[in-house]
Amino acid sequence: MSMRKKKKIGIVGVPPLAVLEEILSPESEIIDLDEPQVRASLDLTAPHLPRVYCAILRTVVLNVLHLDLDAIYIDVGPGKCDCALHVATILRDMLDIPVTATRNLDSAGFGTPVCRTRMALTDKLLAITASVRSTAPHRPLPPCRPTAGFWGVPPRDFSILALFPDTTHVYGWSRCMENKTPADLELEAHVNPEVPTVFFAQSFCAKTALARHLAARHPRALYVDCDVSAGSSVRAKIEAFLELSGVRGGDR
Amino acid sequence: MLLADFGTSYCKILDTNQDHGPRVMASRDLEPGFMADLATGHNAARRSRRSINELTALARGGERLVGEEDFLLLDCGSRDIKYVRFQGGQVIDMGWNAECGASMGFTIELLASYYNIDYHTLPVPGTGFSITCGVLGMSHIFDAVVAGSSEAEAVAKFVRGIALNAYRFAGSPERLHLSGGLCDNPLFVGSFPCQVVPLGRFVLLEGLRASMERPDPA
Repeated sequence: MSMRKKKKIGIVGVPPLAVLEEILSPESEIIDLDEPQVRASLDLTAPHLPRVYCAILRTVVLNVLHLDLDAIYIDVGPGKCDCALHVATILRDMLDIPVTATRNLDSAGFGTPVCRTRMALTDKLLAITASVRSTAPHRPLPPCRPTAGFWGVPPRDFSILALFPDTTHVYGWSRCMENKTPADLELEAHVNPEVPTVFFAQSFCAKTALARHLAARHPRALYVDCDVSAGSSVRAKIEAFLELSGVRGGDR
Repeated sequence: MLLADFGTSYCKILDTNQDHGPRVMASRDLEPGFMADLATGHNAARRSRRSINELTALARGGERLVGEEDFLLLDCGSRDIKYVRFQGGQVIDMGWNAECGASMGFTIELLASYYNIDYHTLPVPGTGFSITCGVLGMSHIFDAVVAGSSEAEAVAKFVRGIALNAYRFAGSPERLHLSGGLCDNPLFVGSFPCQVVPLGRFVLLEGLRASMERPDPA
């Protein structure tokens, strides 16, 4: 008896709900290309993308170089970024598979229970990123009182998330992801001024401007950006900020 | 209790049970088995029983030494620069530059030794080189010497450029408190285009003292 091979569909960003409903099936495997899926050097993407470019999109290209995909859906609208728009062009020229550009303007909020509950920040971001492959809302979770905030996109290097306490609330585009409204700029700009907040952006991402701007307006904020992996100075800045803000002890 | 600030080039060590003050020694001369009770710096995790982040030590040290509600404290180390800014008695901004501030203190010391220069005798030059780090700035010195400048004059312009770079990194304040061994370099201190209050090289040790007096989270 022969097993029918599942269709491997890569997604970039948050696909519109209608697209996700269309491509989700028992015969398909949805792969989030924004996340590292293979162990290989990002330098392999150099023939296709500049080395000084968003690490997330370099990861996308690295993934497609190694995964035998059948189709790609890449979001390129205000819910993702202009860099993705150009990567979509590059992918079309690189590959012999359908590359479909989408513009997710979904506005029906699914809620943000994960962003506001007590849970390890790494687990929160894992749950949020996993939800881009699902049309279902997250199960209800009780909100906790926030002691810290993380604003930004899911980082390329999740190790920085381990520095935060479980009572960290998530803001920015990650919150928009959970809400399934990635183009909701008002939600993306929402912060809690009462909570010491780290404003994070990937280096070379347009969101660095918004992160810096919001951090400058926030009374207890730290702006950080990092590229592929978080160096010791980025980690030290976050550690010191959380400690000096009274969020957590910094002794090791 | 043995406190240590493990810098890249120098270690600053204080035994709180002894009457004498801190001692400074070259990091390369540190005994292999040396172990502090509480430390900060790049070797702290490996060489101490308890360690704290350098920015935290800097902030806590500054808090105790400066005694003001609003101030900016810049630490110029051997291979990096970092700052904390206090407002209303709270840290509201901080930065740590290990890339573009790379090797500045180390290079300044290296140049003095190589060219046999005493920074106490060099006047602050009217202009400095536009440089971003010790390593990248070296070629400016060579170019200036080739163009007819004296070695001392070229090195002075280099130092002024380094100070300006640190000043900009700290947000171009009107006044700053300076931490680190470069406080003893009058050319470096005089090269800042703002008021500078040198605090010396033991600010992080003072931060360790402050941490020592806090309850152990363990």
